[in-house]
Amino acid sequence: MTLTIVLLGAAALIGLGLYGALSQQSFVMLMMGLELMLNGALLATIGFWSRAIGGMPEGQLLAIIVMAVMAVEMAIGFALIVAVYRKRQADMTESLGTLKH
Amino acid sequence: MTGLLVLAVLATLLAGTCFAVLLDRAQPALVAEFFRSRVETEAPDRLNRDLAPAWYLALAAIGLSVVPFAPGLALIDSPAGIVIWGSCEALIVVTVFLHGWAPNAPFPLIGAYRYAALALPVMLPSMFVLIAAALPAQSLSLIAIVDSQREIWNVIRQPLGLPLFLVVALALTLRGPMDYADGADIATGTSAEESGAARATWYLARAAMLVSVSALAATVFLGGPLGPLLPGPVWLWLKTAALMALTAWLGHHVARPPPGRMLTLLWIALLPLSFLHLAISGVLAL
Amino acid sequence: MTDPVTDLVLLLLTGFAVWTGWRVFRVDSMVRASFSLMLSFIAVGAIGLLLSAPYIGIATVFMMAVEMMVMAIFMVMFMMNPAGLNPMMMVHQHGVSIAAGLAAFLGLGAAILLSAPPSDPVPPQAPVVAQLGHELLGPSMLIFETAGVTLLATMVGAVILSSRQGRHGAADEGSRPPGLTAGGAPAGRTPGEEGGPGHHHHHGGHG
Repeated sequence: MTLTIVLLGAAALIGLGLYGALSQQSFVMLMMGLELMLNGALLATIGFWSRAIGGMPEGQLLAIIVMAVMAVEMAIGFALIVAVYRKRQADMTESLGTLKH
Repeated sequence: MTGLLVLAVLATLLAGTCFAVLLDRAQPALVAEFFRSRVETEAPDRLNRDLAPAWYLALAAIGLSVVPFAPGLALIDSPAGIVIWGSCEALIVVTVFLHGWAPNAPFPLIGAYRYAALALPVMLPSMFVLIAAALPAQSLSLIAIVDSQREIWNVIRQPLGLPLFLVVALALTLRGPMDYADGADIATGTSAEESGAARATWYLARAAMLVSVSALAATVFLGGPLGPLLPGPVWLWLKTAALMALTAWLGHHVARPPPGRMLTLLWIALLPLSFLHLAISGVLAL
Repeated sequence: MTDPVTDLVLLLLTGFAVWTGWRVFRVDSMVRASFSLMLSFIAVGAIGLLLSAPYIGIATVFMMAVEMMVMAIFMVMFMMNPAGLNPMMMVHQHGVSIAAGLAAFLGLGAAILLSAPPSDPVPPQAPVVAQLGHELLGPSMLIFETAGVTLLATMVGAVILSSRQGRHGAADEGSRPPGLTAGGAPAGRTPGEEGGPGHHHHHGGHG
C-alpha cells in the first residue's frame, strides 16, 4: 500500500513533467518540466529502496546518482541558455528555427 | 524529555535574542515599531512578504533544535544532523531572496539579488568546514561530533574551521561585511519598503538567527555542552554567548567591500582555503 | 503490516508534491513557479525522511533549495515579467503535451497497479547513513569517482559555455535586452548611448 501510493505519486510527477517539458515555450520553464520528471524518478527510487529490496545500499546510491544527474542537467542547461541568448537573443523555443525544415 | 528540550530551545532563543539585540550598536525602537502602520508597495507578493520573517524565525528554531543541549540529548536527533543545518542555510538564502522580491520594488530586489549572488558561494566553505569537523567523529550526527571532542576541541585541531565559519555566520545573519541584503548603501535593501510589525519581526529574526548559528558553531568547534564543573546546558549557553559577542564585534569592526570584490575574495581565497582545510583534516583523521 | 498513520501522511505529502508540481505551470509569476517546484521537492524530501532515508531526504531539500534559488535568479534575468503583473501562459502544442503527459501517467500507473513488486521493507533500526557511506567508498567507488569527474566536467563546461571571452570575440557583443512587447524594440539603452538617469544594472559581480 505504501509502495503503491509512492509509486503512483512518482508516476504523476513524471506525467506532469512530461507535459511541462513538451508544452512550455520558455527555456527555463521547460527545464522545470525536466526537473519534475527527475523528481518523480527520485521518489520512485526511494520508494523501491525502502519497501521492495530491503534497504540494499545500492538503492541509496541510485538516488544519489539521480541527484547528481539533476545537478549536471541544470548546470549545463542554464549555461546553454545563457550562450544561446547571447548569440541569438532567444529566450523562447520559438525563436530557434535554424533546424526547421 | 522532549517537552523539556522544546522548552530549552525556546528559552534559549528568547534569551539569546534579547542578548543579541543588546549587542547591536544602535537598537531600533522595537516596541514603537510594532505599532507603526504598514507601508504598501504596488502589487507585492502578499504571502511571501508577510511570511518571510516567520520563516526566517522558524529556520532559526530548526537550526537550534539540532544542537545537543547535553551530551547525547538533542531535540532533533538525526544521523544526518549536519545536513539538516546545511538545508537550513540553503533555505535562509531562499527566505532572504523572497523577502526582497516580494515587495516588487527596486531596492529590495537589488538587495535580494546581491545577497543570493554572495550567499550561495558562502555556503560552500560552510559545508566543507562542517564536513571536516564530522571526519574525526566518523558521523554526520551532531551528538557524535560533540562526543568526538572529549579529548580536544575542534577549534584546536582544525584551526581554520572557526574563522571560516564566522564568515558564514556573518552572511547568514546579514551582519557587517556580509550585509549585502540589508545594507545601508541601498537604503536597507530588503527591508527598505517595510514598516511596522514585519520590520520589527525581521530584525528579531536576524537576532534569533545569530543565536542559532553561534550555538551550532559552539557545538561543532568548541565542544558544545562539554566542560568540567557546570552542567551541560550552562556550558553551551556560555560558549554561544561568547561566539555571539565575537560575531557582533566582527560585524561592527570589519568593513564591507563592494560586491564584486567580495565575490572575488570568496571564490579565489576562501573556497580554496576551505579545500585545504578539508584536505588537512582528512589526512589528520586517517 | 504497513502503519495507517504513516500511509495517511505519505498520501498527504505525495498529494502535496503532485499539486505543487501542477501549480508550477499554472502560476502567473516565474519566481513563484520555481519556488512552487521547490515545495514539491521539499515534499519528496519529507517522504524520504518518512521512508527511513534521512540523508537522501535532507540532501534533496538542501540541493533543491539551492537549485531553485539559481533558477529564480535566471527567471528574473531572462523574463520581462518575473514579478507576475500580467497573466502568463506561453505554451505550444498544448493538446499533444496533455495527451503525452496523461499517457505517461496512465501507462506507468497501469504498470504499478498490475504488477506485484516484492515487499521487503528496510529494517527500522538499520544504520542506513553509515551503510551508504561504506557503499559509496567501498564496492561502488568507481561509480562515485566517475560521478565526481562528471561533475567536474560539468563545471568546466558550464564556465566555458557562458564565459565572457567567447571563442569568436566577446560573448555579449550582440546581446540586448528583450523587448517590452513581443518582437518589439529592445528595452533599455542601446550600446553607444550615454547612460541616462533611471537605469540600474543587476551585476552578479562580474569584473
